[in-house]
Amino acid sequence: MLKMKMKQFLTAVAVSSACVAAPSVAFADNHGASAIEEGKELSFGRSKGNCLACHMIQGANMPGNIGPALVAMEMRYPDKQKLYDKIWGTPETIVEDSMMPHFGANGILSDEEIQKITDYIYTL
Amino acid sequence: MKKTLLVALTLGATATAATNVMAGGVDPEKSRIQLVEYFQAKNPNIAPEEYINGAYIYNEDKFMQWEAAEEFPPYLDAVDAGEALYQQDKAVYDKCFGSDVTKIRNQYPRFNESTQQVETLEGQINQCRADNDLKPFKWKKGDIAQLSAYMAYEARGQKINVDASSPGAKEAFNKGQAFYVEERGQLGLSCAKCHTYNAGRKARSNTLSANLGHTTHFPVFRAKWQELGTLHRRYGGCNKNMRAKPMKAQSEEYRNLEFFQAYMSNGLEINGPGYRE
Repeated sequence: MLKMKMKQFLTAVAVSSACVAAPSVAFADNHGASAIEEGKELSFGRSKGNCLACHMIQGANMPGNIGPALVAMEMRYPDKQKLYDKIWGTPETIVEDSMMPHFGANGILSDEEIQKITDYIYTL
Repeated sequence: MKKTLLVALTLGATATAATNVMAGGVDPEKSRIQLVEYFQAKNPNIAPEEYINGAYIYNEDKFMQWEAAEEFPPYLDAVDAGEALYQQDKAVYDKCFGSDVTKIRNQYPRFNESTQQVETLEGQINQCRADNDLKPFKWKKGDIAQLSAYMAYEARGQKINVDASSPGAKEAFNKGQAFYVEERGQLGLSCAKCHTYNAGRKARSNTLSANLGHTTHFPVFRAKWQELGTLHRRYGGCNKNMRAKPMKAQSEEYRNLEFFQAYMSNGLEINGPGYRE
């Protein structure tokens, strides 16, 4: 069942990215818990997201403090798409001299991985 | 469409103009004073002289651990080995650098007006060897780092005094500075992002050191390496961490970067070799 939902979700992502030029979030209300779990793994790991290099996440070991703590994300980003765009690195989200890598623009993460991370970060 | 193209062209032209100003027009001394003032404003309780001690100045506990390690430092054997290397070919080094070993380290880096290139200590050690039919050392570690460490050890306490007054030297400084601020690699990082704008902050548990004083303590004995390494070895490792292509040791890019960084540390004491995590 979960697998099927995931499949639907992925199809939705694929369809929406095929339709519009800018990367887009598929707003499904029924994100699987496993996507969030995968998002967490990507956020904590050093080779991919590595969010902890710069951001505090509650419960994580020895995070960096270069960027702001990842708390109250829903309040800070009422529009979830903007959080996705920030991580992806769309031009309007770029802050000059910021350390934040442009994960989508520079091909560090796939759109799908960014979606998973967005889903996880949004729970913080 | 025409309008968009025009806007794009104008933006491009502006960007090019800005880069040109950066490459040609910055006065080294003004830039250095700005950097010192920047760090003073950022951390009013840290005196400029303290920056020779790297990231340890930002944390009292870590500073004490480091100070304890420096009392019986792991690099002393390497300094002895460097002295032996120096004595072995002293006649040759005397010809190149003069007979007083305490007066070698602080001659470099310097700008050579006839070649219009930056000369570094390690580069000139090998140049000297090659000119006198001795086999040049391998770069980055081993003999070259040991001899460099011995020369630094003998020059401890002297104040860095790099001259960038000639037009050619200014250009080398500006090229080094441009390399320092340019974004490179997949992560879009620059030297400046970590070591100027975010110096003192932490990437995971590692504190980022400041550009000011960066070159005073090289070569360094890193716990991670368990041996000595030169400044250019460290540059290469740093570029790799940024997921950028490292340049070769003693490449023009790294020599200019060293020239820029050493100039920024003018007035600070040489305290190499240093122990670092």
